[in-house]
Amino acid sequence: MPWTPPAGAGATVQIWNGYSLAERDRRWNAVRANAIEAGFDCILIPLGNGADARYLTQLRCSAMALPADGRAPIVIADRSSTNEWVPAPWQTGREWAEPMAEALGDLGMERARIGVAGLRGGTVTHCAALDGVVNHTAFEFVRERFPHAQFADATDVVGLVRFVKSAEEIAWVRESARAAEAGLEALIQLARPGADAGALYADALARLLELRSEYFPLTLTLDSIDAPRPRRYANPPLGRRLGANALIAGEVNAIRGAQLTQVSQPIVLGRVPEAWQPVIDLHREVYEAGLALMKPGASFAALVDLAAGLGAQRGRKAIARLHGCGYGDDGPLVTEKNGGARACALTMAPGNAFVWKPLAMSADEKIRFSFGGPVLVTERGCENLFTRAHGMIAIA
Amino acid sequence: MEAPAEIDWPGYSLAERDWRWARVRAAAAKENFDCILVPLCVDGRNLHLSLEQARGTRSDGRFLTGLDNAAVVLPTDGRAPIVISDDDCGNDWIPEFRPVENSWGEAMARALGDLGMERARIGVSGLRRGFYTHGRAFHGVVNHGSYAEVLRRLPNARFENATEVVGHARYVKSAEQIACLRRGAAIAAAGIDKMIELARPGMDEGLLYTRVMQRLIGLGSEYYPLAFYSGLHGGGRLPRFENPAEGRTLRADYRIANEVDAVFGGLIAQEQQPIFLGRIPDAWKPAIALQRDMYDTALEHLTPGRPFAEFMDRINGFGEKRGMKSRLLMHGRGYGDDGPLFTPQNHGGRNRDLLIEKDCVFIVKPIAYSADGSFDTSWGGCVLVTEKGGVPLVKRTPGMIENV
Repeated sequence: MPWTPPAGAGATVQIWNGYSLAERDRRWNAVRANAIEAGFDCILIPLGNGADARYLTQLRCSAMALPADGRAPIVIADRSSTNEWVPAPWQTGREWAEPMAEALGDLGMERARIGVAGLRGGTVTHCAALDGVVNHTAFEFVRERFPHAQFADATDVVGLVRFVKSAEEIAWVRESARAAEAGLEALIQLARPGADAGALYADALARLLELRSEYFPLTLTLDSIDAPRPRRYANPPLGRRLGANALIAGEVNAIRGAQLTQVSQPIVLGRVPEAWQPVIDLHREVYEAGLALMKPGASFAALVDLAAGLGAQRGRKAIARLHGCGYGDDGPLVTEKNGGARACALTMAPGNAFVWKPLAMSADEKIRFSFGGPVLVTERGCENLFTRAHGMIAIA
Repeated sequence: MEAPAEIDWPGYSLAERDWRWARVRAAAAKENFDCILVPLCVDGRNLHLSLEQARGTRSDGRFLTGLDNAAVVLPTDGRAPIVISDDDCGNDWIPEFRPVENSWGEAMARALGDLGMERARIGVSGLRRGFYTHGRAFHGVVNHGSYAEVLRRLPNARFENATEVVGHARYVKSAEQIACLRRGAAIAAAGIDKMIELARPGMDEGLLYTRVMQRLIGLGSEYYPLAFYSGLHGGGRLPRFENPAEGRTLRADYRIANEVDAVFGGLIAQEQQPIFLGRIPDAWKPAIALQRDMYDTALEHLTPGRPFAEFMDRINGFGEKRGMKSRLLMHGRGYGDDGPLFTPQNHGGRNRDLLIEKDCVFIVKPIAYSADGSFDTSWGGCVLVTEKGGVPLVKRTPGMIENV
């Protein structure tokens, strides 16, 4: 091993790493198979791509070179971290470029076709990262060291493996969904007129931590129900108390077993205004029709069309919105803005898990209602992991 | 302390924005840059490196715009900057920004073109590790895909590293920033008080973690993970947790170390307090006393104009007089990954020629080691540099807490 580790390092950060060795081998083999199909000799997970790295190593931070031919990968880790999956990684301090290059050299990749995960936004991972997630200076160093190698984007090589969850992962997706729902229950229990919005935020987040969720920002959209542009908070609101007629729309996220899930249900402090009911009814129709549509082989394009069609039929608007559950920035990402363009050719498969949260709106778009949570595609159709009854919570 | 609903903080003023922009422009002019580009930087949440680095990646954009994620082209000649962001909406500083359509690279290149920078000398912040900022990021913080696209679209421009241009502007804090850091330090101290209250043998560590975080956020801090270490003395380095631990319970004679951070106004304050669940052994007391005296000496010598070489040599050599070892552990406070960075690992050597300046804020937490090296301890908090030396932003007493 040519890379010489540094003498000192910071304290090792302990993170959850409970997946089995069989799960590791499943992931590595699936990535290798995709790499061969795409014509890559090896897959590089470079500095910057922490999500794929954690998926493939269970380490907090790592870089990895995984040969497609079945040889063991070289993993680079920091802070003296190791685990059962990767008992002897190359250790580094804050230097990543040189060990990444050394790893590729050690594996004989000087003239290889190297797939780089995270170089661009993918179909089902790194979906919000239009320009990818890779650190520029470190990657340029590696490229310059290998002038005869070809580097190409391989985001989907890893992404399409992450897209289909194993039984082990599904168990944690369920656990994560339960934690997120408990966080939402805390919001419902604590949201009252006059309540300190910052304290509400802190208490709901604390409920998630109590259940040992890893941190992910709780987002609260919080304003009067008739506010034209309600304010959104990803940190505790300052100087705010909940007023009568406040609308609290939370995106409650939880991470258990490294699987990020989310639930969302609006709460109004007062009665649900009459004008909202047709929109909520439309939403229920879209939500349930979407659940009925989800099955192996169904296309995400069909989901997009379904929502738009039902909205138009009712003289209102409806938009399919979803994103994947998983290690972070999972797809497919279907939003109001992107219309699911990248996901249209994709079909569903058993083991897909995503957050289904369509948006229904009045014709003038002044009333906007969203509700939803994680769903799991099974052999027989779809299992809804979000157990709360549809609708808006009204707290008098 | 005030509950979040009672906090009346209107955000940073427009004067503060202009002060920051003017400092960056002045430094850019001195380095003969036609503009400063703060490009799209890698996503800290995806990076998975240290907490400081995660928070530090997009810190220059936050410093200049108040937006969570922004790219900025700031012309040196005084023209208004062009800001690109994927945030939901603008703020008082930047009411309107350019959205990201197809890619950040395309949007940044267009902004540079619109400002006439096709053949300019462009200073890029975050391209490499800096002295004042991004000190932990050996390879900088810039996103590859978008920056490569900018280079491709502007082949006749010269792009050079300008990390220090923004870095030095961030190094010295304004009165508004100091007020935010002071509040953050007070919140962090309140979090420590909560930890001292709850840390007892039998306490579930994950629950303790939760209650401390709840206290910090409940006083208006943004979420910044508590770093929590616990375990028996003598078993090697204590494990570090940045999320609530599972299946761990505090025991008698456990040592607890921590980094308790609070973020107010986007600025990270930190306080640190070692705790021992039992009677502190006599053998540890000389090192604890050494640490306290070293901290006091550090404050005394934290004066404007002093080179760090002199300061760090004094601290690193402080323990020898008592037959023990001492090491400076200290770094800047601000939007994330603030420097200069002095750790036992890096010895701070690259910072020797830098000067301490008035209104800098540091976390000062030197480490003292017992004579036989079997015990070490660190206590510290945020310190403001004044003409008369370092002044803690929140009053606390150095030492190790004994929870019996």
